[in-house]
Amino acid sequence: MNNLSQVWSKRFNHYLSEVQKYMRFVFTGHLALVLVFVTGAVGYQYSEWLKVVDRSFPAEWLVAIIVGIMLAFSRPTTLLREPDQVYLLPLETQMGYYFKKALDWTFWSQVGIVSVLYIVGIPLLNKVTELSSGQIWLGLALVIVLKYINVFIEFNYRYALRGKFVSIDRFMRMILSILAIQTILTEQFLFTMVYVVLLLLFHFTWRKSVKEQPIPYEHFVKLEQNRMMAFYRFANYFTDVPHLRGAVRRRVWLNFLYALVPYTKNNTQGYLIFRTFIRTDDHFYLWVRLTAISALVAAFVDMPIVILIVSAAISFATTIQLKYALLSSKEFRMDMLFPVDSSMRTKAVQKLIRTFVFLQAVFVLLCSMGDALFYLPPVLILLVSELTFHLSKNPNNA
Amino acid sequence: MAVLELINVTGGYTRKPVIKDLNFTIGQGELVGLIGLNGAGKSTTIKHIIGTLIPQQGEIKINGVTLKQDIDAYRSSFSYIPETPVLYDELTLKEHLELTAMAYGIDEKTMKERASQLLSEFRMEKRLNWFPSHFSKGMRQKVMIMCAFLVNPHLYIIDEPFVGLDPLGIQSLLDQMDEQKKEGSSILMSTHILSTAEKHCDRIILLHDGRVRAQGTMDDLRKSFNMPSATLDDLYIAMTKEQDNE
Repeated sequence: MNNLSQVWSKRFNHYLSEVQKYMRFVFTGHLALVLVFVTGAVGYQYSEWLKVVDRSFPAEWLVAIIVGIMLAFSRPTTLLREPDQVYLLPLETQMGYYFKKALDWTFWSQVGIVSVLYIVGIPLLNKVTELSSGQIWLGLALVIVLKYINVFIEFNYRYALRGKFVSIDRFMRMILSILAIQTILTEQFLFTMVYVVLLLLFHFTWRKSVKEQPIPYEHFVKLEQNRMMAFYRFANYFTDVPHLRGAVRRRVWLNFLYALVPYTKNNTQGYLIFRTFIRTDDHFYLWVRLTAISALVAAFVDMPIVILIVSAAISFATTIQLKYALLSSKEFRMDMLFPVDSSMRTKAVQKLIRTFVFLQAVFVLLCSMGDALFYLPPVLILLVSELTFHLSKNPNNA
Repeated sequence: MAVLELINVTGGYTRKPVIKDLNFTIGQGELVGLIGLNGAGKSTTIKHIIGTLIPQQGEIKINGVTLKQDIDAYRSSFSYIPETPVLYDELTLKEHLELTAMAYGIDEKTMKERASQLLSEFRMEKRLNWFPSHFSKGMRQKVMIMCAFLVNPHLYIIDEPFVGLDPLGIQSLLDQMDEQKKEGSSILMSTHILSTAEKHCDRIILLHDGRVRAQGTMDDLRKSFNMPSATLDDLYIAMTKEQDNE
């Protein structure tokens, strides 16, 4: 017992530090600013709308549906890992303790979202319904209880069916949760009781069938991997996540670009770099995103100074990010043994960046056609990129 | 002249050496087996030879030059097949072969001739345009093997080649090695498959605790262990027991 509690707390701490490490980058980035701005704007719109909302607006249904949908998504956070299928196997019968800890954390980490959604709905309920504040808070208590039940049902259901037909379970719980919230907000307490009892019945049925089955490690491990992968991918938009391997796609329609690196010994690294860049989603979509922003600004913004600043900033970002992505690497690769000059890789990356920054400049030029001084942003893009490449340090020598 | 020469080589990952005072040579057309327990220093020795680790003391020469003296000549003289295949996720099988050929300055025509022969030998012709993510461990291993033989160097350095290969793959690899030997290439191969090593290697180097415990032909080894009719398995076990008793 003591052992498993240590296992859990060790993992939990590791997980928290991992999340914190990357969230720091996320929130010190431009996203934090965007979030504050968006929340402010949405809040303002909401309060303006509350002033004019009609008394017949179905507020109970709206709150019940939004919170009910979120309640149904109660994916368990087990923090199980691949080796567990081997090493924790002898502890199968004691795993109940571990899972209890895991589900407690699942509940606490997810109860905030539904509570906040409900609380956001309170001004609307106050405005539209006749509910007393006691009754409204009773609703919140029910939401919290429902979350607790939902977390346990989803876990047991996944356990019993080894991850199959999860959407059916979610749909059933969503309907029951919505109805339970709607009825408590319309003071039909008897019905509320019925729905909650139905959920509990659901819960006990699955819990019983869980007891007859071995732990579905494969499913839970996969679930954990997907969850962490999604998190890393998200974090990767803001910083470089080292153990994230980008997906690879062939992108045959760009094959013509390989003509830029014909078959000669001097092009060895170029051959590799061009294919790596074009086929790795992370690198390629980085360029697509940044180029799209630059082109859209050039097309739709009327202030030349803004266009110049944005295109210069994006040229800088494109160059520095690609340089780091393609040059920094500590893993062993076969090309490290090739009998070719060691500066060849840097030169190849420079050629690639020149090619794709040139393409970025062409897109921006096409989008700013017709403006006065339309030729300035593309020239600036090329200039900034060259300067950035030469003045930034080589990540391999850092 | 020796193709590969290790002179008093001491080295490791940190200051604490893993391999100590290694001395051995490999002559032209020789197949030499590097044998030792897990952790004996086989892979560390190989990493020093291919130049990803630099010796703390001593010298390693291929065709008479060290890595420092002429990095291009040193690197073009050997090809390496690692224990765990190292492939580029974003290159197809065909592109792995092309990239390798480009790096070693092999012209396109020669590359195509050699590649088509290797592809049919290892039964991989139909997978030319596949990415490595669709390959099994054995197929990945075959890609590495084909790239190495495509180069046709003076020296092959092969780390534990048989694990993960199917029996036909193993046979093809042994055939290729024989052929290269006949043409005068030398091979250093580390392995745990002792029966294969005994059958195919001209000489054996027994490595234990980072030192060369014994080296020579099977007959030399039998004499040095005083076990006249022993197999390599017997000698290997005798060596480890002897060390345990020390």
